[in-house]
Amino acid sequence: MADRPYEHYTDFVTKRYFHGVDNYDMDMVLDCFHEDATLTEVTSMTIHQGRDAGIKTMFEAFLGAHSRIWHGNFVHTADTTEESVCSQFSVEVTPKGESEPVRYENCNRFYMKDDKFTSVFIYMSGENLLT
Amino acid sequence: MQYQSSLDRAGLIELALIKYFGKVDAKDLDAVLDCFHDNAMITVQTAFTVHEGKENIKRMFIDFMGAYKTIIHKDFTCTVDENNGRIVASFIAEMENEDGSWTRLNNTNFWRIRDDKFQEVYIYMSGDNPLT
Repeated sequence: MADRPYEHYTDFVTKRYFHGVDNYDMDMVLDCFHEDATLTEVTSMTIHQGRDAGIKTMFEAFLGAHSRIWHGNFVHTADTTEESVCSQFSVEVTPKGESEPVRYENCNRFYMKDDKFTSVFIYMSGENLLT
Repeated sequence: MQYQSSLDRAGLIELALIKYFGKVDAKDLDAVLDCFHDNAMITVQTAFTVHEGKENIKRMFIDFMGAYKTIIHKDFTCTVDENNGRIVASFIAEMENEDGSWTRLNNTNFWRIRDDKFQEVYIYMSGDNPLT
C-alpha cells in the first residue's frame, strides 16, 4: 500500500505529465515513465512499448506534428491504495500548417509504481493521433 | 459537478460491479435501473452519444439487452476515489450476437455517485457503440 497523499497522484498527472506534453518538454514527459512502461491507445489498440523506444518514438511524432497542444477540464478519479489515476479531460491540438484546433474528449488510465507510470491506457473520442 | 456520496470504498465497488454489471449480465432491467437517479445521465464519450433521464436510460437498456443472446462483463480493474464519490472500472465486455458470433470490447466506465446511486456515467469503448 502506498503512503503518498491524494494530491501527489493528481499533481503528477497534470503538473508533470500533461504540463510536459503541452510545453513540448520531452525529457519531463519521458521521466514520468518506467523504462519498461507501456502506453496503449485502446480505441485503436495501438501499443507503444518501452520508455526509450516505442513511447519516445510516439511522442516525437505527436509533438512534431502539432503547433499547439492543450489538455484541460480535468476530472480525476484517484486511488492512493492502488496507485492509479483515471482522468477525463479535453484536448485541443492544432496540426502544423493549419490554424484551427481539433478538439477531443478523452480519458487516460494511469497505473503507477515508485512514482512513475508502469502502464497508461488512452481512449480517444475521435481518430487516433498517437500512432 | 461534484456530488456527495454516502458510499465507502466497498460500497462503491459493490454498486458498480455487483448491483450494476451483475444485473446487466442477468438482464434484470429493474435492478439495473435502480442503480440510477431519475435525472441521471449516461454519455458514451467515444461516440458522443448521451442518454439523459431514467426513461431514456431504460429504453437504451431494453434495446441493448434485446440485441444480444448473452452479455458478459469481466476482468475488472477498479480505481476508487472514495472521498469524491467516483469509481472507474476497466473491463472486457463480451456479447453473443443472434447468429452465435461474439462481439468483444475493452471498455472503461467512469461513474460519479450522488448519495448511493449513479448521477453521471461516462463510457469509453474500444469499438463500435452498441449502446445506441
